[in-house]
Amino acid sequence: MPMAERALPAPFRRAPGAAVALVVLVAIFAASSGGRFLSVGNLVSLSSQVALLLLVALPMTFVVLTEGLDLSVGALMGLAGVVAATAMLGGWGVPGALLAALGTGLVLGAVNGALIAWGGMPAFVVTLGTMGLAEGLALAVTDGEPVSGFGDAPRLAWQAMIGPVPLPVAVAAALYALLHLLLYRTPFGAHVVAVGGNREALRLAGIRGRAVHAAVYVLSASCAALAAFLLVGRTNAAHPTVALGVEFDAIVAVVLGGTSFERGQGWLFGTVLGAAAIGVLRNGLNVLAVDPSLQVVAVGLLAILALVAGNRRGGRART
Amino acid sequence: MNGPAPLMALRGVGKSFPGVRALDGVDLEVFAGEVHVILGQNGAGKSTLIRILGGACRPDEGHVEADGRRVAFASPAMAARMGVAVIHQELTAVPHLDLARNIFLGREAAFRNRLGLLDLGAMRAAARRALDAVGLRADVRTEAAALDVAGQQLLEIAKALSQDSRVLVMDEPTASLSVPEAERLFAIIRRLRGEGHGIVYISHRMPEVKALGDRITVMRDGRRVALLRRGEAGADALVAMMVGRAVALSRPPAQTPGAVLLEAEGLSAPGIADASIRLRAGEVVGLAGLVGSGRTELLRALFGAERGAGAVRLGGRPLPADPVRAAAAGLGLVPEDRKRQGLALGRPVRDNLLSASFRRLARRGVAWPARLEREARSLVSRLSIRTAGTGVRVGTLSGGNQQKCVFGRWLSAEARILLLDEPTRGVDVAAKAEIHATIRARAGSGCAVLLVSSELPELIHLCDRAYVLRDGRIVGELAGAALTEAAVLRLAVAQEAQAHAHG
Amino acid sequence: MNALPARIGALLLLALALSLATEGFATATNLLNVLRQASLLFLVASGLTLVIIGGGLDLSVAANLTLSACTAALAFKATGSVAAAVATALGCGLAVGLLNGLLVAVVRVPAFLATYGTLWIASGAAYWLMAGRVVYGFPPALRGLGTGFVLGVPTPVWIMLAVAVAGGAFLFLSAAGREVFFTGANEEAARLSGIPVRRRRILVYGLSGLMCGVAALVYLGRVNAAEAGLGDPLLLPAVAAVLIGGTSLFGGAGGLAGTLVGALILTTVTNGLNLLDVGAAWHPFVTGTIILAALGADALLARRGA
Repeated sequence: MPMAERALPAPFRRAPGAAVALVVLVAIFAASSGGRFLSVGNLVSLSSQVALLLLVALPMTFVVLTEGLDLSVGALMGLAGVVAATAMLGGWGVPGALLAALGTGLVLGAVNGALIAWGGMPAFVVTLGTMGLAEGLALAVTDGEPVSGFGDAPRLAWQAMIGPVPLPVAVAAALYALLHLLLYRTPFGAHVVAVGGNREALRLAGIRGRAVHAAVYVLSASCAALAAFLLVGRTNAAHPTVALGVEFDAIVAVVLGGTSFERGQGWLFGTVLGAAAIGVLRNGLNVLAVDPSLQVVAVGLLAILALVAGNRRGGRART
Repeated sequence: MNGPAPLMALRGVGKSFPGVRALDGVDLEVFAGEVHVILGQNGAGKSTLIRILGGACRPDEGHVEADGRRVAFASPAMAARMGVAVIHQELTAVPHLDLARNIFLGREAAFRNRLGLLDLGAMRAAARRALDAVGLRADVRTEAAALDVAGQQLLEIAKALSQDSRVLVMDEPTASLSVPEAERLFAIIRRLRGEGHGIVYISHRMPEVKALGDRITVMRDGRRVALLRRGEAGADALVAMMVGRAVALSRPPAQTPGAVLLEAEGLSAPGIADASIRLRAGEVVGLAGLVGSGRTELLRALFGAERGAGAVRLGGRPLPADPVRAAAAGLGLVPEDRKRQGLALGRPVRDNLLSASFRRLARRGVAWPARLEREARSLVSRLSIRTAGTGVRVGTLSGGNQQKCVFGRWLSAEARILLLDEPTRGVDVAAKAEIHATIRARAGSGCAVLLVSSELPELIHLCDRAYVLRDGRIVGELAGAALTEAAVLRLAVAQEAQAHAHG
Repeated sequence: MNALPARIGALLLLALALSLATEGFATATNLLNVLRQASLLFLVASGLTLVIIGGGLDLSVAANLTLSACTAALAFKATGSVAAAVATALGCGLAVGLLNGLLVAVVRVPAFLATYGTLWIASGAAYWLMAGRVVYGFPPALRGLGTGFVLGVPTPVWIMLAVAVAGGAFLFLSAAGREVFFTGANEEAARLSGIPVRRRRILVYGLSGLMCGVAALVYLGRVNAAEAGLGDPLLLPAVAAVLIGGTSLFGGAGGLAGTLVGALILTTVTNGLNLLDVGAAWHPFVTGTIILAALGADALLARRGA
């Protein structure tokens, strides 16, 4: 590695896509929004938006580290929200509803994990299948209508502040701390990296790589269920299809954050930067009143730019 | 032998694979404080021996002993627990884990604190000690991917030592090391020997053997043909034992070679430097050298599968580095790894035979099945490929017949320059003879053949002329009566040899 | 391996069961309707089949259909010319396909990532272009592609058969098609056989995009309206049709006949659900379940075989 690169701060070295995008986007929006982008109200809403994305993107980092991906999380969030709302309507109370949502995530995550790790099936098609299953189930039981009328607890939770920090942000921070410990301070974390990096090494070390491989999908689905519960609070209603496409933002956040689909290379904090970049992009475009449908185009272009740039760098390093 | 029991021993071990007797009644003892060199040509049974020592496969006959007791290793992990560690040629580090985690992969539990979290301080300190033991100065927090090959090798050794392995099996550890790196490795090996480890050291390189080996087992055709103490035999004698029978395989009378077909000048690519060669119509030219000397890389660079600097000319005109152009211009490559690079195992024999000639066989873009079938059948019969039909999946064929399919592909494409990388590896005797006959026949009909083979008798038998590679460079060219196994081996192993020899 | 007869058998059994269980299934109108619906699904799945046989993946097919249909509708409204609509649909489909091909073959982005990206880009672009509008009302020349009949058989069914035959001819009779199979089975072996792997890759993605353009025209003809998101419900069934059609997700094996049967099976299932009064909302659930069941069965069979 050349000296010039070593001198760069870590974000620009390890997650150049996210770091550059973040700096450029913040500068653009700060300059062009006439102060609206940097207003306190907007920053609070931006932080909650990023927090919600992180609940999906952080565990997605684990999935991508194993050279996989989970397309089902967006659909699952819709389903888990509907399950939680229905449970509250059924008088299960908030803890019961949370457990019901988590249980939904656990089951779908286990299906994904089993088919991918033991069945040897490609992750994209397995999680596409569970995506259909979850989306369909959510639509079918609700007839496509939002579920509401279960009291104020979810809304209060979404709006709650812990000191100066909105609850969703606090939850995301807690999840980050937890997953950071899991990835960097437990044997499991090392084994996740090895599933993507060198499965043969795991085999030689006598570790059951398949269980580790399956576990990342369970983790991803469980966190998505948790995110779904918070999301219900945003509008105080469970929309069956509200989160479709979240998985795309999450995967782009992971990739921008310097995690590669190859050989277990990755950085959990990079995902935070990636999610922040996407959050800023969407929020800034909102502030500038750009059509929401163009936002997803912008996210896609950002991802392609980052990949092309990353590929260039990799290409040069090889020759 | 009296005295202490060996750390590890094989007693009358035999192992067969379909069509091959890989090991036949082999005995091997490894004592504390010795470096036991195993010497043998490719196909002598060394790799099977390593697999059995390391628990990757079980012997059909005989047994394994550790500390004088019979043991049966069910897995490499179990062998490691019993104190045997294999340092493989393909390294097994996880690229994006740091050195500490790599060393203790699968054994992290020892560093858990009360919260169940890893005590990184303790783990790193232990890793530091392990790396110090092999003289690797890198920070334990760097990722394994940041180490060069030599560093990764030391990491593997550190890993083995940290699990109290008393027997280390090293498989051609210097194959991809520079001279100073190799020197450092030898110093570590000597120290480990001094500390009472037993080391099984596989190598072809005579100077290393001389410098390190306390005892030498020479293998040939799956058997142990000699067990020698240090200094009991000189390099020439050892080479003679590896080569075995001084049978001069009859070589067809040298033909007058034709025009130069393919020419490379100053070709450099990853793994080769400044290689210049010439292939003439009608000749079979060998490319000899140790594993890792750049033979495969040279073939791939000629075919354009690897980009590099320098010129490749075909009939005097420059040939760009692109497999599509190379194949169209009449080059054909039979790659080293048949299953990964040569064949589409799930596709029928027919498609594997015709993959380079679909376009040639098509009439205005239409590849009529009847025409393809006719061509495939004719190839099957020309090469005597034993298959139930051309629609059978190629993966179900025996190794020899699979290899004939890769050959057939280039017959069908009417290639005039054949680049053959270990074309008879893992092939039974009958198929081997048939492949040899095909090679000669192609040369006879005006093709130029460049042949890589680790089996010297094969090389000598087939080739009119041979280049010898060492460390990515062509170090000699032998032809006619000068092309002998001993001469090739001497060039291939004699490296900056003198440097090692007095080390 | 070649389980096509078994798949046809499954289709016939399914049809038999539905004829017995419902009154409305075994009528000429309904069966023609099933065929008509299957044709749209098959068109989208056919290109996907080619891509998957070549060792790739195209998640953007449904979004590409949407964008092609929307741009074609807008082009028609702007020019009043059916030819312009046809050219726009085919051109837009092809362009998205070629973009996928370039990203995968030249930039070397993993296929699922590249095509998932173009999925969202095409989908977002369609929402932006349509801005919530529904563009409707097309002339008979265009409507005929979706609703017309030729010799008593719906026009889209003829189109489906033509694509199946042409696609089959490409795969099994052309040199390029054989090379696509070989590339999908082992890319490195293909490269070392002198097969122009990149061009073959780009070709199949381009064809996949083109088929989406054709499907867009059939869609406009049948529905007579275009709006953003119109193709979304087709992604899962398209993947499912390829999967239960027996094309290997790992590349190098499969064919369009299987996908045709797969599309018919899926359409028959949804048709049966409708006849049995199961709401359309259940369709994605059923499709998802079919995908997972097929994957589970494949995994078990592979295990048994190994």
